[in-house]
Amino acid sequence: MAAAITSPVPVAWYPTLAILMLAVGLIVTASFFIYEATSSRRNRSLAKELTTGALASFFLGFGTLFLLLASGVYV
Amino acid sequence: MARSTAMKAAGLILALLIFTFFSLAASSSNNQIQILNAERRIDLSSHIVKVFLTLKVENVGTSPASEIFLAFPPSQADQLALVKAQAAIGKKKKKSYVHLDVNPTQLPDAPNGTKYFSISLLNPLSSGETATLEVLYILTHSLEPFPAEISQLESQLVYFRDSALILSPYHIKQQTTFIKTPSTKVESFTRVEPTKFAGRELKYGPYEDRPPYSFSPVIVHLENNSPFAVVEELLREVEISHWGNLQITEHYKLVHAGARHKGVFSRVDYQSRASVKGASSFKHLLASLPPRVHSVYYRDEIGNISSSHLRTDYRKSELEIEPRYPLFGGWEGYLCYWIRATTGRLPFSSLLMASVTSTSALVVPLPRPHTLLMLMPDNVLSQVVLPEGSKDPSAAVPYPVEQHLETKYSYLDVVGRTVLVLEKKNVVPEHITPFQVYYTFKPIFMLAEPLMLASVYFLFFMACVAYLQIDISIRK
Repeated sequence: MAAAITSPVPVAWYPTLAILMLAVGLIVTASFFIYEATSSRRNRSLAKELTTGALASFFLGFGTLFLLLASGVYV
Repeated sequence: MARSTAMKAAGLILALLIFTFFSLAASSSNNQIQILNAERRIDLSSHIVKVFLTLKVENVGTSPASEIFLAFPPSQADQLALVKAQAAIGKKKKKSYVHLDVNPTQLPDAPNGTKYFSISLLNPLSSGETATLEVLYILTHSLEPFPAEISQLESQLVYFRDSALILSPYHIKQQTTFIKTPSTKVESFTRVEPTKFAGRELKYGPYEDRPPYSFSPVIVHLENNSPFAVVEELLREVEISHWGNLQITEHYKLVHAGARHKGVFSRVDYQSRASVKGASSFKHLLASLPPRVHSVYYRDEIGNISSSHLRTDYRKSELEIEPRYPLFGGWEGYLCYWIRATTGRLPFSSLLMASVTSTSALVVPLPRPHTLLMLMPDNVLSQVVLPEGSKDPSAAVPYPVEQHLETKYSYLDVVGRTVLVLEKKNVVPEHITPFQVYYTFKPIFMLAEPLMLASVYFLFFMACVAYLQIDISIRK
Protein backbone atom coordinates (compact mmCIF):
# COMPACT_ATOMS: atom_id res chain seq x y z
CA MET A 1 0.00 0.00 0.00
CA ALA A 2 1.48 3.28 -0.92
CA ALA A 3 0.17 6.77 -0.57
CA ALA A 4 1.25 9.72 -2.59
CA ILE A 5 3.41 12.24 -0.79
CA THR A 6 2.01 15.72 -0.72
CA SER A 7 3.27 18.81 0.89
CA PRO A 8 1.90 19.50 4.41
CA VAL A 9 0.50 22.75 3.11
CA PRO A 10 -1.43 22.77 -0.19
CA VAL A 11 0.75 24.14 -2.95
CA ALA A 12 -1.93 26.52 -4.15
CA TRP A 13 -1.80 28.35 -0.83
CA TYR A 14 1.90 29.21 -0.99
CA PRO A 15 1.62 32.78 -2.38
CA THR A 16 -1.30 33.70 -0.13
CA LEU A 17 0.38 32.35 2.96
CA ALA A 18 3.61 34.12 2.08
CA ILE A 19 1.94 37.51 1.82
CA LEU A 20 -0.17 37.02 4.93
CA MET A 21 2.66 35.86 7.12
CA LEU A 22 5.05 38.52 5.93
CA ALA A 23 2.43 41.19 6.53
CA VAL A 24 1.78 40.01 10.07
CA GLY A 25 5.50 39.69 10.68
CA LEU A 26 6.19 43.21 9.51
CA ILE A 27 3.37 44.60 11.68
CA VAL A 28 4.83 42.89 14.76
CA THR A 29 8.30 44.16 13.79
CA ALA A 30 6.90 47.65 13.60
CA SER A 31 5.35 47.29 17.03
CA PHE A 32 8.69 46.06 18.37
CA PHE A 33 10.57 49.08 17.07
CA ILE A 34 7.85 51.49 18.22
CA TYR A 35 8.16 50.06 21.69
CA GLU A 36 11.92 50.44 21.56
CA ALA A 37 11.70 54.03 20.39
CA THR A 38 9.01 55.24 22.73
CA SER A 39 10.18 53.77 26.00
CA SER A 40 13.11 55.00 27.97
CA ARG A 41 15.80 52.72 29.20
CA ARG A 42 14.47 52.45 32.70
CA ASN A 43 10.94 51.50 31.74
CA ARG A 44 11.84 48.79 29.29
CA SER A 45 10.74 45.30 30.11
CA LEU A 46 12.96 42.60 28.67
CA ALA A 47 10.13 40.07 28.66
CA LYS A 48 8.01 42.23 26.37
CA GLU A 49 10.94 42.81 24.01
CA LEU A 50 11.71 39.11 23.84
CA THR A 51 8.14 38.05 23.18
CA THR A 52 7.58 40.66 20.51
CA GLY A 53 10.89 39.75 18.90
CA ALA A 54 10.13 36.02 18.99
CA LEU A 55 6.68 36.49 17.49
CA ALA A 56 7.99 38.76 14.77
CA SER A 57 10.81 36.41 13.86
CA PHE A 58 8.44 33.41 13.76
CA PHE A 59 6.10 35.10 11.31
CA LEU A 60 8.91 36.56 9.27
CA GLY A 61 10.69 33.22 9.11
CA PHE A 62 7.66 31.30 7.89
CA GLY A 63 6.74 34.13 5.57
CA THR A 64 10.19 34.03 3.97
CA LEU A 65 9.95 30.27 3.57
CA PHE A 66 6.62 30.48 1.78
CA LEU A 67 7.94 33.35 -0.31
CA LEU A 68 10.84 31.16 -1.43
CA LEU A 69 8.50 28.26 -2.19
CA ALA A 70 6.04 30.44 -4.06
CA SER A 71 8.76 31.89 -6.25
CA GLY A 72 9.99 28.46 -7.29
CA VAL A 73 12.98 27.89 -5.02
CA TYR A 74 11.82 24.60 -3.59
CA VAL A 75 14.02 24.32 -0.54
CA MET B 1 48.38 -56.82 3.54
CA ALA B 2 45.93 -57.88 0.89
CA ARG B 3 43.25 -55.67 2.41
CA SER B 4 45.40 -52.53 2.20
CA THR B 5 46.22 -53.10 -1.49
CA ALA B 6 42.56 -53.78 -2.19
CA MET B 7 41.65 -50.55 -0.48
CA LYS B 8 44.33 -48.67 -2.42
CA ALA B 9 43.01 -50.10 -5.69
CA ALA B 10 39.47 -49.13 -4.78
CA GLY B 11 40.63 -45.63 -3.95
CA LEU B 12 42.43 -45.32 -7.29
CA ILE B 13 39.40 -46.53 -9.23
CA LEU B 14 37.20 -44.07 -7.37
CA ALA B 15 39.58 -41.23 -8.15
CA LEU B 16 39.68 -42.25 -11.82
CA LEU B 17 35.91 -42.35 -11.99
CA ILE B 18 35.58 -38.91 -10.42
CA PHE B 19 38.19 -37.53 -12.81
CA THR B 20 36.49 -38.90 -15.90
CA PHE B 21 33.13 -37.68 -14.68
CA PHE B 22 34.43 -34.14 -14.23
CA SER B 23 36.27 -34.09 -17.54
CA LEU B 24 33.15 -35.27 -19.32
CA ALA B 25 31.05 -32.66 -17.58
CA ALA B 26 33.50 -29.92 -18.51
CA SER B 27 33.63 -30.74 -22.19
CA SER B 28 30.04 -31.86 -22.46
CA SER B 29 28.72 -28.45 -23.47
CA ASN B 30 30.23 -28.50 -26.92
CA ASN B 31 29.22 -32.02 -27.85
CA GLN B 32 25.79 -31.97 -26.30
CA ILE B 33 24.01 -29.18 -28.11
CA GLN B 34 23.52 -28.85 -31.80
CA ILE B 35 21.85 -25.93 -33.55
CA LEU B 36 19.40 -27.20 -36.15
CA ASN B 37 18.51 -23.88 -37.68
CA ALA B 38 19.91 -20.42 -37.06
CA GLU B 39 18.50 -17.28 -38.63
CA ARG B 40 20.16 -13.94 -38.03
CA ARG B 41 18.65 -10.61 -39.03
CA ILE B 42 20.97 -7.63 -38.81
CA ASP B 43 19.27 -4.24 -38.91
CA LEU B 44 21.55 -1.46 -40.12
CA SER B 45 18.89 1.21 -40.62
CA SER B 46 20.01 3.39 -37.75
CA HIS B 47 23.44 4.08 -36.35
CA ILE B 48 22.94 1.37 -33.75
CA VAL B 49 23.23 -2.17 -35.08
CA LYS B 50 20.42 -4.44 -33.91
CA VAL B 51 20.74 -8.16 -34.43
CA PHE B 52 17.87 -10.61 -34.01
CA LEU B 53 19.01 -14.19 -33.74
CA THR B 54 16.57 -17.12 -33.83
CA LEU B 55 18.11 -20.40 -32.78
CA LYS B 56 16.52 -23.82 -32.87
CA VAL B 57 18.67 -25.93 -30.59
CA GLU B 58 18.58 -29.67 -30.03
CA ASN B 59 20.13 -31.63 -27.23
CA VAL B 60 21.97 -34.55 -28.84
CA GLY B 61 23.86 -35.52 -25.71
CA THR B 62 22.77 -37.72 -22.89
CA SER B 63 22.40 -35.38 -19.94
CA PRO B 64 19.97 -32.45 -19.74
CA ALA B 65 21.37 -29.04 -20.62
CA SER B 66 20.38 -25.96 -18.68
CA GLU B 67 22.55 -23.39 -20.43
CA ILE B 68 23.10 -22.35 -23.99
CA PHE B 69 26.24 -20.39 -24.83
CA LEU B 70 26.49 -17.49 -27.25
CA ALA B 71 29.92 -16.61 -28.64
CA PHE B 72 31.12 -13.20 -29.82
CA PRO B 73 34.44 -12.17 -31.33
CA PRO B 74 36.38 -9.95 -28.89
CA SER B 75 36.02 -6.77 -31.00
CA GLN B 76 32.23 -7.17 -31.08
CA ALA B 77 32.02 -8.05 -27.41
CA ASP B 78 33.40 -4.63 -26.50
CA GLN B 79 30.70 -2.92 -28.53
CA LEU B 80 27.83 -4.91 -27.09
CA ALA B 81 25.35 -2.71 -25.32
CA LEU B 82 22.59 -5.18 -24.63
CA VAL B 83 21.94 -8.90 -24.91
CA LYS B 84 18.40 -10.16 -24.34
CA ALA B 85 16.96 -13.61 -24.83
CA GLN B 86 13.49 -15.07 -24.77
CA ALA B 87 12.05 -18.51 -25.36
CA ALA B 88 9.00 -19.17 -27.47
CA ILE B 89 6.41 -21.38 -25.86
CA GLY B 90 3.38 -22.84 -27.56
CA LYS B 91 2.35 -23.41 -31.14
CA LYS B 92 1.77 -20.99 -33.97
CA LYS B 93 -1.40 -19.27 -32.81
CA LYS B 94 -0.78 -19.26 -29.10
CA LYS B 95 2.86 -18.29 -29.02
CA SER B 96 4.01 -16.54 -25.90
CA TYR B 97 7.44 -15.41 -24.96
CA VAL B 98 9.25 -15.92 -21.70
CA HIS B 99 12.21 -13.77 -20.81
CA LEU B 100 15.46 -15.61 -20.06
CA ASP B 101 18.47 -14.47 -18.09
CA VAL B 102 21.64 -13.80 -20.02
CA ASN B 103 24.96 -13.43 -18.22
CA PRO B 104 28.51 -13.00 -19.43
CA THR B 105 30.58 -16.02 -18.72
CA GLN B 106 33.95 -17.60 -19.39
CA LEU B 107 34.68 -20.93 -20.99
CA PRO B 108 38.04 -22.59 -20.38
CA ASP B 109 39.24 -23.19 -23.95
CA ALA B 110 38.15 -20.12 -25.87
CA PRO B 111 39.89 -19.83 -29.25
CA ASN B 112 41.28 -16.36 -30.16
CA GLY B 113 39.82 -14.62 -27.14
CA THR B 114 36.15 -15.32 -27.87
CA LYS B 115 33.79 -13.89 -25.32
CA TYR B 116 30.73 -15.82 -24.18
CA PHE B 117 27.27 -15.18 -22.81
CA SER B 118 25.23 -17.93 -21.27
CA ILE B 119 21.46 -18.11 -21.54
CA SER B 120 19.83 -19.89 -18.61
CA LEU B 121 16.92 -22.00 -19.79
CA LEU B 122 13.74 -22.17 -17.71
CA ASN B 123 13.47 -25.95 -17.89
CA PRO B 124 16.57 -27.98 -18.62
CA LEU B 125 16.54 -29.39 -22.12
CA SER B 126 16.50 -33.15 -21.92
CA SER B 127 18.11 -35.45 -24.43
CA GLY B 128 16.48 -35.38 -27.84
CA GLU B 129 14.41 -32.27 -27.17
CA THR B 130 14.49 -29.09 -29.19
CA ALA B 131 13.84 -25.53 -28.14
CA THR B 132 13.53 -22.25 -29.98
CA LEU B 133 15.34 -19.23 -28.59
CA GLU B 134 15.20 -15.66 -29.76
CA VAL B 135 18.13 -13.44 -28.93
CA LEU B 136 18.43 -9.71 -29.45
CA TYR B 137 21.75 -7.96 -29.14
CA ILE B 138 22.71 -4.41 -29.88
CA LEU B 139 26.09 -3.13 -30.96
CA THR B 140 27.18 0.48 -30.68
CA HIS B 141 30.03 2.21 -32.50
CA SER B 142 30.31 -0.66 -34.96
CA LEU B 143 29.62 1.26 -38.16
CA GLU B 144 32.79 2.89 -39.39
CA PRO B 145 32.36 5.90 -41.68
CA PHE B 146 34.31 5.50 -44.90
CA PRO B 147 35.27 7.89 -46.47
CA ALA B 148 36.18 9.47 -43.17
CA GLU B 149 35.50 13.00 -44.38
CA ILE B 150 32.61 14.21 -46.51
CA SER B 151 31.38 17.60 -47.58
CA GLN B 152 27.92 18.97 -46.91
CA LEU B 153 26.44 17.72 -50.17
CA GLU B 154 27.64 14.13 -49.99
CA SER B 155 25.85 11.33 -48.29
CA GLN B 156 27.51 9.21 -45.67
CA LEU B 157 28.92 5.76 -46.42
CA VAL B 158 29.93 3.33 -43.73
CA TYR B 159 31.69 0.00 -43.36
CA PHE B 160 30.01 -2.82 -41.50
CA ARG B 161 32.24 -5.72 -40.56
CA ASP B 162 30.89 -9.06 -39.43
CA SER B 163 30.99 -12.71 -40.35
CA ALA B 164 28.79 -14.49 -42.86
CA LEU B 165 28.82 -17.54 -40.62
CA ILE B 166 27.40 -17.24 -37.13
CA LEU B 167 30.11 -17.70 -34.51
CA SER B 168 29.00 -20.39 -32.11
CA PRO B 169 30.55 -23.05 -29.90
CA TYR B 170 28.08 -25.55 -31.38
CA HIS B 171 27.73 -27.32 -34.69
CA ILE B 172 25.18 -25.50 -36.86
CA LYS B 173 23.24 -27.55 -39.38
CA GLN B 174 21.65 -24.74 -41.35
CA GLN B 175 22.08 -20.98 -41.04
CA THR B 176 21.11 -17.84 -42.93
CA THR B 177 22.02 -14.23 -42.34
CA PHE B 178 19.89 -11.31 -43.59
CA ILE B 179 21.26 -7.78 -43.51
CA LYS B 180 18.76 -4.96 -43.83
CA THR B 181 20.21 -1.76 -45.24
CA PRO B 182 18.67 1.69 -44.82
CA SER B 183 18.60 2.40 -48.56
CA THR B 184 19.04 0.51 -51.79
CA LYS B 185 22.50 1.96 -52.29
CA VAL B 186 25.23 -0.49 -51.31
CA GLU B 187 28.69 0.27 -52.67
CA SER B 188 30.17 -3.17 -52.24
CA PHE B 189 29.92 -6.31 -50.17
CA THR B 190 32.05 -9.40 -49.75
CA ARG B 191 30.65 -12.41 -51.52
CA VAL B 192 30.56 -15.68 -49.62
CA GLU B 193 28.48 -17.94 -51.84
CA PRO B 194 25.52 -18.22 -51.83
CA THR B 195 24.95 -14.45 -51.52
CA LYS B 196 22.03 -12.46 -52.87
CA PHE B 197 21.31 -8.75 -52.77
CA ALA B 198 17.84 -7.53 -53.68
CA GLY B 199 16.18 -4.22 -52.79
CA ARG B 200 17.22 -3.42 -49.25
CA GLU B 201 18.17 -6.88 -48.10
CA LEU B 202 21.46 -8.70 -48.38
CA LYS B 203 21.20 -12.45 -47.83
CA TYR B 204 24.14 -14.64 -46.87
CA GLY B 205 23.25 -18.28 -47.01
CA PRO B 206 21.82 -20.76 -46.45
CA TYR B 207 24.98 -22.52 -45.30
CA GLU B 208 24.85 -26.19 -44.37
CA ASP B 209 26.72 -28.13 -41.72
CA ARG B 210 29.33 -25.78 -40.35
CA PRO B 211 31.64 -26.87 -37.52
CA PRO B 212 31.83 -24.94 -34.27
CA TYR B 213 33.72 -21.63 -34.28
CA SER B 214 33.62 -21.22 -38.03
CA PHE B 215 34.03 -17.60 -39.01
CA SER B 216 34.04 -15.93 -42.42
CA PRO B 217 34.66 -12.17 -42.24
CA VAL B 218 32.70 -9.95 -44.60
CA ILE B 219 32.66 -6.19 -45.11
CA VAL B 220 29.60 -4.35 -46.37
CA HIS B 221 30.04 -0.78 -47.61
CA LEU B 222 26.67 0.92 -47.52
CA GLU B 223 25.01 4.29 -47.38
CA ASN B 224 23.65 5.25 -44.00
CA ASN B 225 22.40 8.78 -43.50
CA SER B 226 20.91 8.43 -40.06
CA PRO B 227 22.45 10.96 -37.71
CA PHE B 228 25.28 9.46 -35.72
CA ALA B 229 24.62 11.51 -32.65
CA VAL B 230 26.72 10.36 -29.79
CA VAL B 231 26.37 11.85 -26.35
CA GLU B 232 29.75 11.79 -24.76
CA GLU B 233 28.41 12.45 -21.35
CA LEU B 234 24.89 12.75 -20.08
CA LEU B 235 24.44 14.16 -16.62
CA ARG B 236 20.95 13.96 -15.12
CA GLU B 237 20.11 15.46 -11.83
CA VAL B 238 16.83 14.72 -10.11
CA GLU B 239 16.08 16.89 -7.14
CA ILE B 240 13.32 15.85 -4.79
CA SER B 241 11.66 18.28 -2.46
CA HIS B 242 8.96 17.25 -0.05
CA TRP B 243 7.32 20.61 -0.38
CA GLY B 244 5.85 19.17 -3.54
CA ASN B 245 8.34 19.44 -6.39
CA LEU B 246 10.47 17.19 -8.54
CA GLN B 247 13.07 18.87 -10.69
CA ILE B 248 14.99 17.11 -13.44
CA THR B 249 17.99 18.77 -15.07
CA GLU B 250 19.86 17.20 -17.95
CA HIS B 251 23.15 18.21 -19.46
CA TYR B 252 24.22 16.78 -22.80
CA LYS B 253 27.59 16.91 -24.46
CA LEU B 254 26.86 15.97 -28.05
CA VAL B 255 29.26 14.88 -30.72
CA HIS B 256 28.44 13.80 -34.24
CA ALA B 257 30.47 10.65 -34.64
CA GLY B 258 29.86 10.06 -38.31
CA ALA B 259 32.03 11.05 -41.24
CA ARG B 260 33.81 14.30 -40.48
CA HIS B 261 32.60 17.40 -42.26
CA LYS B 262 35.08 19.06 -44.61
CA GLY B 263 34.74 22.22 -46.59
CA VAL B 264 32.34 25.04 -45.84
CA PHE B 265 28.93 24.95 -44.26
CA SER B 266 26.40 26.83 -46.34
CA ARG B 267 23.32 27.82 -44.36
CA VAL B 268 21.52 28.74 -47.55
CA ASP B 269 21.99 25.28 -49.02
CA TYR B 270 21.03 23.70 -45.75
CA GLN B 271 17.78 25.60 -45.32
CA SER B 272 16.69 25.12 -48.90
CA ARG B 273 17.06 21.37 -49.29
CA ALA B 274 18.20 19.87 -46.06
CA SER B 275 17.32 16.35 -47.11
CA VAL B 276 19.93 16.44 -49.83
CA LYS B 277 22.44 18.93 -48.50
CA GLY B 278 23.34 17.87 -45.04
CA ALA B 279 21.47 14.58 -45.05
CA SER B 280 23.44 13.12 -42.20
CA SER B 281 23.33 16.11 -39.90
CA PHE B 282 21.68 16.02 -36.56
CA LYS B 283 18.80 18.43 -36.22
CA HIS B 284 16.34 17.52 -33.49
CA LEU B 285 16.27 16.00 -30.08
CA LEU B 286 13.01 14.53 -28.91
CA ALA B 287 12.40 13.96 -25.24
CA SER B 288 9.38 12.18 -23.86
CA LEU B 289 8.56 13.43 -20.40
CA PRO B 290 6.08 12.59 -17.66
CA PRO B 291 2.69 14.29 -17.87
CA ARG B 292 2.02 17.64 -16.20
CA VAL B 293 5.45 19.12 -16.32
CA HIS B 294 5.91 22.85 -16.10
CA SER B 295 8.66 25.43 -16.05
CA VAL B 296 10.59 23.82 -18.86
CA TYR B 297 13.65 25.70 -19.94
CA TYR B 298 16.36 24.85 -22.40
CA ARG B 299 19.68 26.52 -22.89
CA ASP B 300 23.21 25.95 -24.10
CA GLU B 301 26.55 27.59 -23.26
CA ILE B 302 25.53 30.96 -24.65
CA GLY B 303 22.09 31.20 -23.20
CA ASN B 304 18.47 30.48 -23.78
CA ILE B 305 17.39 28.77 -26.98
CA SER B 306 13.88 29.42 -28.08
CA SER B 307 13.55 26.91 -30.91
CA SER B 308 11.77 24.26 -28.92
CA HIS B 309 8.22 22.99 -28.66
CA LEU B 310 6.49 21.42 -25.69
CA ARG B 311 3.33 19.44 -26.32
CA THR B 312 1.48 18.12 -23.30
CA ASP B 313 -1.44 15.82 -22.88
CA TYR B 314 -2.77 13.86 -19.96
CA ARG B 315 -0.57 10.86 -20.54
CA LYS B 316 2.79 12.31 -21.45
CA SER B 317 4.55 15.43 -22.57
CA GLU B 318 6.86 15.74 -25.51
CA LEU B 319 9.67 18.21 -25.81
CA GLU B 320 11.18 18.78 -29.22
CA ILE B 321 14.49 20.58 -29.06
CA GLU B 322 16.33 22.09 -31.97
CA PRO B 323 19.86 23.29 -31.21
CA ARG B 324 21.14 26.57 -32.62
CA TYR B 325 23.10 24.87 -35.35
CA PRO B 326 22.79 21.41 -36.88
CA LEU B 327 25.56 19.03 -36.01
CA PHE B 328 27.71 17.77 -38.84
CA GLY B 329 30.45 15.17 -38.61
CA GLY B 330 32.99 15.99 -35.95
CA TRP B 331 30.99 18.95 -34.58
CA GLU B 332 30.25 19.23 -30.90
CA GLY B 333 27.42 20.79 -29.04
CA TYR B 334 26.30 21.27 -25.47
CA LEU B 335 22.80 21.75 -24.25
CA CYS B 336 20.93 21.45 -21.02
CA TYR B 337 17.30 21.51 -20.14
CA TRP B 338 15.30 21.26 -17.00
CA ILE B 339 11.73 20.41 -16.18
CA ARG B 340 9.65 20.49 -13.07
CA ALA B 341 6.81 18.25 -12.06
CA THR B 342 4.49 18.75 -9.12
CA THR B 343 4.26 15.62 -7.08
CA GLY B 344 1.07 14.24 -5.65
CA ARG B 345 -1.43 15.74 -8.04
CA LEU B 346 -3.29 12.58 -9.01
CA PRO B 347 -2.81 9.26 -7.27
CA PHE B 348 -2.27 7.07 -10.29
CA SER B 349 0.45 9.13 -11.85
CA SER B 350 2.18 10.69 -8.91
CA LEU B 351 5.89 10.36 -8.90
CA LEU B 352 6.57 10.36 -5.19
CA MET B 353 4.93 7.71 -3.08
CA ALA B 354 5.13 6.70 0.57
CA SER B 355 4.92 3.16 1.69
CA VAL B 356 3.17 2.34 4.91
CA THR B 357 5.28 -0.71 5.72
CA SER B 358 7.58 1.46 7.75
CA THR B 359 6.55 4.86 8.97
CA SER B 360 8.82 6.86 6.76
CA ALA B 361 10.13 4.65 3.96
CA LEU B 362 9.62 6.21 0.58
CA VAL B 363 9.39 4.83 -2.89
CA VAL B 364 10.04 7.03 -5.87
CA PRO B 365 9.15 5.44 -9.20
CA LEU B 366 11.08 7.53 -11.68
CA PRO B 367 10.40 6.87 -15.31
CA ARG B 368 13.56 7.80 -17.16
CA PRO B 369 11.87 10.98 -18.23
CA HIS B 370 13.04 11.06 -21.77
CA THR B 371 13.22 8.83 -24.77
CA LEU B 372 16.57 9.39 -26.34
CA LEU B 373 15.55 8.57 -29.86
CA MET B 374 18.60 8.69 -32.06
CA LEU B 375 21.03 9.19 -29.21
CA MET B 376 23.71 6.85 -28.03
CA PRO B 377 25.13 7.96 -24.70
CA ASP B 378 28.56 6.69 -23.89
CA ASN B 379 28.23 7.41 -20.23
CA VAL B 380 25.11 8.29 -18.24
CA LEU B 381 25.43 9.77 -14.78
CA SER B 382 22.20 10.05 -12.82
CA GLN B 383 22.23 11.96 -9.58
CA VAL B 384 19.25 11.77 -7.30
CA VAL B 385 19.38 14.56 -4.74
CA LEU B 386 17.37 13.57 -1.70
CA PRO B 387 15.96 16.00 0.86
CA GLU B 388 18.17 16.97 3.77
CA GLY B 389 17.99 14.47 6.55
CA SER B 390 17.18 11.40 4.47
CA LYS B 391 18.93 8.19 5.30
CA ASP B 392 19.60 4.79 3.73
CA PRO B 393 19.26 5.60 0.08
CA SER B 394 19.21 2.69 -2.31
CA ALA B 395 18.15 2.20 -5.90
CA ALA B 396 16.43 -0.68 -7.63
CA VAL B 397 17.52 -0.62 -11.26
CA PRO B 398 16.77 -3.44 -13.73
CA TYR B 399 20.33 -3.56 -15.12
CA PRO B 400 23.72 -3.25 -13.45
CA VAL B 401 24.86 0.26 -12.59
CA GLU B 402 27.58 1.64 -10.36
CA GLN B 403 26.29 3.44 -7.31
CA HIS B 404 27.92 5.72 -4.80
CA LEU B 405 26.90 8.53 -2.46
CA GLU B 406 27.87 12.17 -2.44
CA THR B 407 26.81 15.25 -0.51
CA LYS B 408 25.47 18.41 -2.04
CA TYR B 409 24.94 21.73 -0.32
CA SER B 410 21.94 23.58 -1.60
CA TYR B 411 19.41 26.11 -0.30
CA LEU B 412 19.01 26.25 3.47
CA ASP B 413 21.24 23.25 4.08
CA VAL B 414 23.16 22.62 7.25
CA VAL B 415 24.44 19.08 6.92
CA GLY B 416 24.03 18.79 3.17
CA ARG B 417 21.79 16.64 1.04
CA THR B 418 22.57 13.03 0.28
CA VAL B 419 23.05 12.42 -3.42
CA LEU B 420 22.75 8.94 -4.86
CA VAL B 421 24.86 8.73 -8.00
CA LEU B 422 24.20 5.99 -10.56
CA GLU B 423 26.58 5.53 -13.45
CA LYS B 424 26.19 3.37 -16.53
CA LYS B 425 28.28 3.12 -19.65
CA ASN B 426 27.15 2.30 -23.17
CA VAL B 427 23.45 2.99 -22.98
CA VAL B 428 20.95 2.30 -25.77
CA PRO B 429 17.24 3.15 -26.00
CA GLU B 430 16.32 -0.34 -24.82
CA HIS B 431 17.71 0.62 -21.43
CA ILE B 432 14.94 3.14 -20.89
CA THR B 433 12.90 1.66 -18.09
CA PRO B 434 11.64 3.11 -14.85
CA PHE B 435 13.79 2.69 -11.83
CA GLN B 436 13.05 3.30 -8.19
CA VAL B 437 14.92 4.99 -5.43
CA TYR B 438 14.18 4.15 -1.82
CA TYR B 439 15.06 6.27 1.17
CA THR B 440 13.79 7.04 4.64
CA PHE B 441 12.86 10.55 5.58
CA LYS B 442 11.18 11.93 8.65
CA PRO B 443 8.81 14.77 7.73
CA ILE B 444 9.75 16.60 10.92
CA PHE B 445 13.04 17.54 9.25
CA MET B 446 11.10 19.80 6.93
CA LEU B 447 10.41 22.03 9.92
CA ALA B 448 14.11 22.73 10.30
CA GLU B 449 14.09 25.14 7.37
CA PRO B 450 11.54 27.71 8.60
CA LEU B 451 12.90 27.41 12.12
CA MET B 452 16.35 28.23 10.80
CA LEU B 453 15.00 31.32 9.09
CA ALA B 454 13.05 32.36 12.20
CA SER B 455 16.12 32.00 14.38
CA VAL B 456 18.10 34.27 12.06
CA TYR B 457 15.44 36.97 12.40
CA PHE B 458 15.35 36.41 16.16
CA LEU B 459 19.09 36.93 16.39
CA PHE B 460 18.65 40.21 14.53
CA PHE B 461 16.01 41.39 17.04
CA MET B 462 18.15 40.38 19.98
CA ALA B 463 21.06 42.29 18.50
CA CYS B 464 18.80 45.35 18.36
CA VAL B 465 17.80 44.86 21.99
CA ALA B 466 21.41 44.45 23.06
CA TYR B 467 22.49 47.52 21.12
CA LEU B 468 19.78 49.62 22.69
CA GLN B 469 20.59 48.41 26.19
CA ILE B 470 24.31 48.98 26.02
CA ASP B 471 25.47 52.39 27.07
CA ILE B 472 28.47 53.39 25.00
CA SER B 473 28.50 57.11 25.60
CA ILE B 474 31.74 58.55 26.75
CA ARG B 475 30.19 61.31 28.71
CA LYS B 476 27.54 60.68 31.39
